[in-house]
Amino acid sequence: MFGKTVSYGLLWDFAVSEAVSEDQRWILSTMHKHGQELITMIWRILGNEQDVCDAYQDTFLQLAHYEGGQKPEHVKAYIFRTANNVAISMLRRRIAEKRRMSTAIVTGKNVTSPAKELDSKYLQETLRDCIAQLPEHLRNVITLRDLAELSYAQIGRILGISAATARVYRCKALQILTMWMGKEEEK
Amino acid sequence: MTGINKNNKCRRIRGWLSEAISRHFGLDANWLQNHITNCQRCQRRLVSYGKVNLAISAIKSQPHKLDLLMCANAQAIGVLKHSLRQAQKAKKLRKIRPEPKLRERFGKYANSAVNVAACITILLLTKIGVFSSMDIFQTQGQKVIKQYYASRVGDDLADEIFPKDTKLSVHPKNSVPLRKTQS
Repeated sequence: MFGKTVSYGLLWDFAVSEAVSEDQRWILSTMHKHGQELITMIWRILGNEQDVCDAYQDTFLQLAHYEGGQKPEHVKAYIFRTANNVAISMLRRRIAEKRRMSTAIVTGKNVTSPAKELDSKYLQETLRDCIAQLPEHLRNVITLRDLAELSYAQIGRILGISAATARVYRCKALQILTMWMGKEEEK
Repeated sequence: MTGINKNNKCRRIRGWLSEAISRHFGLDANWLQNHITNCQRCQRRLVSYGKVNLAISAIKSQPHKLDLLMCANAQAIGVLKHSLRQAQKAKKLRKIRPEPKLRERFGKYANSAVNVAACITILLLTKIGVFSSMDIFQTQGQKVIKQYYASRVGDDLADEIFPKDTKLSVHPKNSVPLRKTQS
């Protein structure tokens, strides 16, 4: 009797999980529709292929477990914001680890030669560091506009703000980045 | 209707405004350039701004591996539920490669398309020009022939052949023999 109950329970669980999975086919469609744009954005934020794969995986895992497998109302907005947050968290962790691991790099930063300033890799890393330190509302706009290359209208829809506000935020973000990059040079 | 007109006007004014503003306050504005040459602080800021732009461009121009999308999809699908992993779409996603956008794909044909459009426009204009010239030529020719008839057979007959209320495009050859038989 007990064995039968267990087996019925297992069958029920299986059936429910199958039904949920059937309902979650939209995840694959989302992956197909927005995957390329997401990868481009995450790649530009992180610049490391393994990290990109991890952030992408985290994004879709969070999407699959959103409110017990429910489909968010605005899927695109959800995945872009999630991917952005995941990638920035990874970037911050990486920066912190780099700082902790070697003080030599920090001392190396003090000696900025003109050749180093023009070094594209150095510039990219500095900008990524600065972007990671920006306040969230400004950072979201700069990553979506400059790294994901979305229009202001799309950004507005994703972040729930108007296109004009997105423009203002980007302008502010650029001002701050300019100031920080200038300070970085003075160090 | 008035709303559309108002919108168009508004858009036009916005265009002029942005043009005027960029002329006066853009980076190429003379007063700004003069100031920058004399102000070290602004020079530093401009350099930093240029650096930010350069870094953004460098990040954008950095390509990733072609199979990155494929790898990321495979890794992400790997953590989804069993039935999703086995779905036909999942198999396709594991092999997918980045495809250029429509704009990028057809961007290389843009010049050819513009050239073809220019050729078609020139042809159309030529055709319109030729036809309008033909009309003028025909009307003028008919006037000359009417004058000739008037001088030879008199105004009355010429008016009958080329009545004032009818168009001059009636070929005189068709009407002349008819008049002759009547007379």
